[in-house]
Amino acid sequence: MSDKRDVSLPPVREGMANRGKPVEKPKDMRGTLRRLWSLCRGHGRGLGWIMLLSALASASSVFSPFLIGRTINSIDGGLSAVWLIALLAGLYVSDWLVRFIQQYFMASIGQRLILHIRGTLFDAMKSLPLAYFDRHRHGELMSRLTNDVDNISTTISDSLSQLMIYVFTIVGVLAIMLISNVILTLISCSTVVLIFILTRVITVRTRKLYKQQQSLLGRLNGQIEESISGLSLVKAYSRESAMIREFEDCNEQYCTAATSAAITSGYLMPLTSVINNLSYLTIAVVSGIMAARGGIDVGVISSFLLYSKQFSRPFVDIANIYNNFQSAVAGAERVFEILDEQPEPEDVADAVPITRIRGDIELRNVTFGYGKENPVLKNVSLTVPAGTRVAIVGPTGAGKTTIINLLTRFYDVDGGEILLDGVDLRSYRLRDLRRAFGVVLQDTSLFGVTVRENIAYGSEETALEAVRSSAVTAGADAFISRLPQEYETVLDGGGSSLSQGERQLVTIARAVLVDAPILILDEATSSVDTMTEQKIRAAILRLTAGRTSFIIAHRLSTIRDSDVIVLLQNGEIAEMGNHGELMSLGGLYAEMYLTQTGN
Amino acid sequence: MKLIVRYVRRHIGMFLLGILFLSLETFAELLQPTFMAGIVDNGVANLDVAAILRYGAVMLAITAVGAVGAVARNIFASRTSQTIGKELRGDLYKKTQTLSHENIDRLQTSSIITRITNDVTQIQTFVNGLMRIMMKVPIMCVGAVTLLIIQTPSQLPIMCVILLVSGVLIAANMKLGYPRYGQLQKRLDRLNEVSREFLSNVRVVKAFNAEERESAKFGDAAESFASAGVSAARVLAVFGPLINLAVNFGIIALLWLSKAQNSAEIGRLMASVNYMTQVLFSLGMVSNILNNAVRATTSAARVSEILDEVPKLTEPSAATAVTADISGEITFSNVTFTYAGAARPAISGVDFTVKAGETLGIIGATGSGKSTLVNLIPRFYDPTVGCVEIDGQDVRKLATDNLRGAIAVVPQKSLLFTGTIADNLRWGDENADEAAIHAAAKTACADDFVRSFPLGYDTVLGQGGVNLSGGQKQRLSIARALVRKPKILILDDCTSALDATTEARVLGGLGSGAQGATVLLISQRISTVMRCDRVLCMENGLVAGIGAHDELLASCPTYRAVYASQIGGEAV
Repeated sequence: MSDKRDVSLPPVREGMANRGKPVEKPKDMRGTLRRLWSLCRGHGRGLGWIMLLSALASASSVFSPFLIGRTINSIDGGLSAVWLIALLAGLYVSDWLVRFIQQYFMASIGQRLILHIRGTLFDAMKSLPLAYFDRHRHGELMSRLTNDVDNISTTISDSLSQLMIYVFTIVGVLAIMLISNVILTLISCSTVVLIFILTRVITVRTRKLYKQQQSLLGRLNGQIEESISGLSLVKAYSRESAMIREFEDCNEQYCTAATSAAITSGYLMPLTSVINNLSYLTIAVVSGIMAARGGIDVGVISSFLLYSKQFSRPFVDIANIYNNFQSAVAGAERVFEILDEQPEPEDVADAVPITRIRGDIELRNVTFGYGKENPVLKNVSLTVPAGTRVAIVGPTGAGKTTIINLLTRFYDVDGGEILLDGVDLRSYRLRDLRRAFGVVLQDTSLFGVTVRENIAYGSEETALEAVRSSAVTAGADAFISRLPQEYETVLDGGGSSLSQGERQLVTIARAVLVDAPILILDEATSSVDTMTEQKIRAAILRLTAGRTSFIIAHRLSTIRDSDVIVLLQNGEIAEMGNHGELMSLGGLYAEMYLTQTGN
Repeated sequence: MKLIVRYVRRHIGMFLLGILFLSLETFAELLQPTFMAGIVDNGVANLDVAAILRYGAVMLAITAVGAVGAVARNIFASRTSQTIGKELRGDLYKKTQTLSHENIDRLQTSSIITRITNDVTQIQTFVNGLMRIMMKVPIMCVGAVTLLIIQTPSQLPIMCVILLVSGVLIAANMKLGYPRYGQLQKRLDRLNEVSREFLSNVRVVKAFNAEERESAKFGDAAESFASAGVSAARVLAVFGPLINLAVNFGIIALLWLSKAQNSAEIGRLMASVNYMTQVLFSLGMVSNILNNAVRATTSAARVSEILDEVPKLTEPSAATAVTADISGEITFSNVTFTYAGAARPAISGVDFTVKAGETLGIIGATGSGKSTLVNLIPRFYDPTVGCVEIDGQDVRKLATDNLRGAIAVVPQKSLLFTGTIADNLRWGDENADEAAIHAAAKTACADDFVRSFPLGYDTVLGQGGVNLSGGQKQRLSIARALVRKPKILILDDCTSALDATTEARVLGGLGSGAQGATVLLISQRISTVMRCDRVLCMENGLVAGIGAHDELLASCPTYRAVYASQIGGEAV
């Protein structure tokens, strides 16, 4: 699966603008948080400091309106105003220091935490068995490595420190307001209630609209993806205008739904500030009347007006922070799922190190299936003496590739055993075992590095001479020499500039270079033309001399000269022998061979 | 940015109305402290409750006006941004439909898709923000400063100093922040690339024991992403609090000066302090805006790249376009074609004619130019030298619809689209009736398996639909081509997933199903092409030989070698 999509930075959070978008809920908040905490171990002290600094950072918003009020009160009162101003200046300077230190350190602590989690995740991922990668979409795994990890640490450290600031602000401001004047405090609090009601009303409405928007977006993106991936076909059949019509239909519907969702949710911010203005004017009028009647002084008016501007904000934001926090914890759960996956089985305690391999292979009553129900291989037994050239043939789905998966221990057998030089594969060290195989796989995967590095992938030898000579053996040298920078040409996009046949030649060269005692070629020549295949076949003949080798090919002409041909059908060995024997048997092999050669 | 301006300009009326209402809302908010000053200085100072209530009524009226502004600007902002998003998406989509294969090769399919989806959304979010918070901040800032100076004109110099300092700080913040965010995006791309590569190559990684190597590669990418992140966040950490401090000192200065002058009316002083805090809030948003702008600019650049792409193949102008009844004779005269950026031509000096109704097999080594050759016929690419003619007419002079309408291509990779099987087959001919569709499917040996589905031809394929095997897809895509009743049928190695027996049946059926069309049949198997009227044998981009099977066996050494390798020497 090649989920090739560039992921961009997550969009800047729009504060409350997304209220009502479906929030993912974690399954086990408490347990996940406990695990997260243990994952953060070693960063605990840094996080502690950040929390402490966050608490201090709230001091300015709590005390400065109060101080300003007192200052205004005593503006013509002589000396005390000077002291109050000095105090205020001190408060501002320390606020600056605290904020600077907090943000500066949070930048590196946060990123170090991300790096740690990301590294842990990748390490866990790389030792997962192949079955895991076969079962999961790659795009999904990628988004765990990037988005989920980023979310966990930024949201958690950001939200926690923001939460800290807000809690201290609310408590502090409320205390000072209550001490100053109870009636004005109640007016401020009623604003918060109004905003809560507004939020509720809007959220209920947007939830449905967002759901609709999301499903239309899915359809629109699906249409775009499909028609652009298949653009050459669209052109071949002159379907451009039909595709555009279909697209415009999706686009229009999406736009209508998205606009109504945006308008509804967009009311929240401006209407909140209208409510704030309302509260400002109420406080101004009420406190004005109270002051005119001599109940309070101007300083109190001033403080309350300043508080009213910032009091409701934390309440509104806390709900938002909680949502972000929830989806981050849900992301953490997805990350933990990967960490909890069973990695590839560990080597047994008395694992046998491999020093020299003869290459005797024996399958004893091997049974295996990818799911519980359908066994792909049923009770297969096969003895391959060292140095034998084995070809495995059979219809699609007969279990040819599965044998390769079992030999390299990409998967382990369900029943029976596989022996290498008389020892069960599972008794070897996995790394040693895989080093014993030179593998050319069905999918021709190349990396975005130079041709030389691609061929040298997995081998210690990276010198150009060695690389070139294995390319010559594989018959790849000729086309590589024609590339712009020859062996130093960087293969962008996984080698998409090469033809599939050329990519295959590179992977063959790679297997040649590792020089392993046992060779596996899985459909390695399927998309190479027959002329090139001739060259490869010659190379393989040279290469397999004296080595145990397994070759899987659709085209029977390529494996005619194998020592043993194994015909698999429905997970069982149906026929076995060399070409001549099987032809004279007159069974399925003979029939397949004759149809393929057109006789 | 130019791109965004261009699209905004299309809706300039809506945009300006939105900004107008936004200003109304902002001014309503800004006027509050001024009237509050009235309450304090006239009402409280003179103990005049009636005056206080009068001012309160005015403030209430202003708030009501502000509410109207808020509601209106929300509607305008949402509408405008969504409409711009829709148009941009539409224009991009239409543009891609006009691009040729050469353009697509260069831009890469996956990247085009991301641009139409993610990047457009990014721009749309930006426009929306522009009509909300981004415009509100400067209006708020300018308004607050103006009112502040009106309130207490004596503060003009001190305001200038503060504005200057904050301005310098913001500019420095942008100057340092902008490239750092760009860097961050680049490193993120790299991180994604590394993980994508690992995931799609995981078999190779495991087979070659290269887990540690991949881990190190990933670690490096993650590390450099993290350090870019730290460096970007530190810029904000330095400047954010500094800007705060500058404005806070403005408040100090206000208080200090009124203390020193001992003359300011208290209400005005309070209003001034309020304005100062409003300036503070606005400036706090600057980094957010910067962030958004960086992303929108990057996205706009990526989107513009597609919009500015010049289609490599141009339709002949209406005046010269020839619409002809095509009979199907194809002539290549001395055709050479070189892919963009390639050092060597993919095919060169190709010269041959296929008579109408003839079946030509094409065989040759990987990379010998077989697919390139046939791609020149429907003008997926145009020859670098020489020309391709149909019925003696240069294909570049034919109207593209006319040309492609007469050709049916079955590509190597069979692609089917979301929809029913019948819908897919009707790609060949929108007006094909049921009988025609069934007949085509029968010829392509697809009828049996289609009928085995419970819904038959109405079975839905694609997302959430039935999954077909490779061989079934190939047969359907052949059927689709047959529905077209083409004059020229191009089969590009499209039977690879069929077993030999089915392949023989399908190709055998073409004789009657293709109804006298000219057929070009690319294959790797000599047993497939030897049944054709004539065979074209390609080698390294050159024609090695053309002729009937027996002639080629006698005259063409390359063909003989291929034959020997597949059928075996004994048959020669």
